[in-house]
Amino acid sequence: MAILEVRNISKKFGDLEVLKDISFNVEVGQVVAIIGPSGSGKSTLLRCVNQLERADSGEIVVDGLTMLHTEDGKAQYADKKTLRDIRLKIGLVFQNFNLFPHFSVLQNVIEAPIHVLKKSKAEATKTAEELLKKMGLETKEKSYPCELSGGQQQRVSIARALALNPQILFFDEPTSALDPELTGEILKVIKELAKEKMTMVIVTHEMAFARDVANHVIFMDQGYIVEEGAPEEVFGNTQNERTKQFLQRYNEN
Amino acid sequence: MDFEAIKKVTLILLEYLPNTLSLFAWTLVFSIPVGMIVTWLKKCRCKPVNWLTDLYILIMRGTPLMLQIIAFYYAIPMIVASAVKNGNTGGIIPFFQNIMSSDHYMIIMLVVAFSLNYAAYFAEIFRGGIEAIPKGQYEAAQMLGMTKMQTFFRIILPQVTKRVIPATANEVIVLVKDTSLANVIAFAEITMKAKQQMNFYSSILPLFIAGVFYFVMNAVVTALFSFIEKKFDYYK
Repeated sequence: MAILEVRNISKKFGDLEVLKDISFNVEVGQVVAIIGPSGSGKSTLLRCVNQLERADSGEIVVDGLTMLHTEDGKAQYADKKTLRDIRLKIGLVFQNFNLFPHFSVLQNVIEAPIHVLKKSKAEATKTAEELLKKMGLETKEKSYPCELSGGQQQRVSIARALALNPQILFFDEPTSALDPELTGEILKVIKELAKEKMTMVIVTHEMAFARDVANHVIFMDQGYIVEEGAPEEVFGNTQNERTKQFLQRYNEN
Repeated sequence: MDFEAIKKVTLILLEYLPNTLSLFAWTLVFSIPVGMIVTWLKKCRCKPVNWLTDLYILIMRGTPLMLQIIAFYYAIPMIVASAVKNGNTGGIIPFFQNIMSSDHYMIIMLVVAFSLNYAAYFAEIFRGGIEAIPKGQYEAAQMLGMTKMQTFFRIILPQVTKRVIPATANEVIVLVKDTSLANVIAFAEITMKAKQQMNFYSSILPLFIAGVFYFVMNAVVTALFSFIEKKFDYYK
């Protein structure tokens, strides 16, 4: 069953076409890796699906709710309530964490459950403590983001996203702001989540990781989806010249 | 001047200190909220409102506060006089006449002039604070389903507050000293009284004593602001 359906999404910034007729599906329990060179439109695609940017045309359906459709060539977004319902089904982990610096780790994680989902503080705290423990941060509850390493901050932000119990979790280059050692701890957490059948879409430059953890890979270049398929196909046996070229350069580095 | 005279002058200044302090306090009470409103008007999406706000800030920051004090103080009597001369006694005129006949007319107009002037500076400080908050903070709140109000009051405002404290402290310190400008319309605050005593004793010492008063007030303001700053020190 497709939990996310994206059809013919186009997006321009001024005269620059960043997304050209993008279509793909995400099935429940699937881990999708989106790879491609910088400027290929990966992050913009993610931001369009997450309502942080507005697409110019196309169709996006999340868990049966239509977020965007196109009528006579014009993008029509759903009403505010539907958009909000959709937003709560989706979590996003940012490249540079975007934790709330004035809140402790625990406050960061319980803020939305209490003020958005209207859970009781005790209930929200209980869930948050479990999540933080899972992220290996049980001793850091009272710390402030500025006292944590980048890897720890990113784990808090994953816990914060999970606290809303999203049906699909997006990662926008979750390790790009981290050094290689810290990258490992984030990738481990994502692998754990994959084991639990969490539906995830990950924009990443970590090719080895994408190959290892994803069960579907999308390769984007210049606003198009050039190729998509199982990781073995895309990484091991691609017939596409552009994909070959890109992966080759990666292997050289 | 002997010691007795110094004591006498100090007591006189002490007697008029409440006037200085009330001008200072009332100005703070009004200028900070008005400044917030001006920031909001400057950031709202309606272009004509933005232009009017810009014009307001330009005038308030671009002309001397001393001129503004004089203008506000004499504007109402002149408006009323010319209206009455033209046989116009309706609309806002009775309201103006009421204010004019109040015992507090002078301090009211001073607080109006000071508040409108300081609001322009505070507005720009607050705007700087708001614009320094990374876009990612709004996006993170948005992704968590927070409403615009929740985002502003729970996420943005606390961080803005921390960032604007040093610049606000600066303004408040300047305000302590600027209250002396009120002597231009003969408001009985400490600079005005010090000048009178200076003439009386033919000595510069009363001005020096007034200086000590301002110095002590600003020492208190500085201590207060470093205390507040420390309160916000728990995060970066």
